[in-house]
Amino acid sequence: MKFMEDRILNNSESLELISSMIKNTQEKITKNSGTPFLIWGYTTIIISLLVWGLSKYTLCGWSQALWFALPIIAFPLTLLSQRKKKVYVKTFVDSVISKIWIIFGVAGFIVTILAFLSPVLGVTSMPILFSVLLLMAMGTALTGLVIKFNILTICGIVSMFLSSACLIYRGLDSILVFSAIFFIMMVIPGHILNSKANKNV
Amino acid sequence: MFKELNPLLHSELRLAIMSILISVEEADFVYIKEQTKATAGNLSVQIDKLSNAGYISVVKGFSGKKPRTTCSITTEGKVAFEEYVENLKEYLKI
Repeated sequence: MKFMEDRILNNSESLELISSMIKNTQEKITKNSGTPFLIWGYTTIIISLLVWGLSKYTLCGWSQALWFALPIIAFPLTLLSQRKKKVYVKTFVDSVISKIWIIFGVAGFIVTILAFLSPVLGVTSMPILFSVLLLMAMGTALTGLVIKFNILTICGIVSMFLSSACLIYRGLDSILVFSAIFFIMMVIPGHILNSKANKNV
Repeated sequence: MFKELNPLLHSELRLAIMSILISVEEADFVYIKEQTKATAGNLSVQIDKLSNAGYISVVKGFSGKKPRTTCSITTEGKVAFEEYVENLKEYLKI
């Protein structure tokens, strides 16, 4: 493509320029767009395994509180990864995706808090892992639909079905099931998305 | 009778900037420079012209320690762009 200047265009050149600029912008998948999925996916898996290991092999009474480290670690890492981008563009799709995740993130946080407070509130035990998985899988499937990335949509929908495994497997081992589903839901599509996006840039 | 095409938009670089900004919420100087392949100096001048006309808003800030100039289209800019496209369609009989 040639350098653009302050030159007067003829009418058909104008129309061609408008359509090519809009097309370029709309088709662009930003480099490293899978990184937030990798950050949340890997952090969740590591924390899950830590909680599982500490609960199973030690008498550590506070291991469940480690779950709260998840947003404390993953949220700043996500912001940092966005800041590192040399080029900044926010499309309407980006805006919709961030709103989807704000809503699902808040819902996930409420469910987690309620699960911790359930003994105090007198609520019968909440299926916390199932609830969080279902919410995150819905967010993943919606993101896949919005960015038209089928692998993400499929991984999200499959994980919605798989989340029921956390109702079947009870006790500590359900944490292992939880982390395995997170791997399918976020890590696999995150790597594929990054590899596709980085090839296109 | 054909309406005159807005001279502020009827220039290659300014039209490219407006076309990019109409399809995003906001974009920084580096992104626009990459897409238009314009020189930084020329791009700055054209962004200033569009900003002075009220067609785009320019926010100068920082991303970490690096300066970042972010541009977005204003409502006035959207109206001017739509009018330009409508007039263009009349000229081209689309």
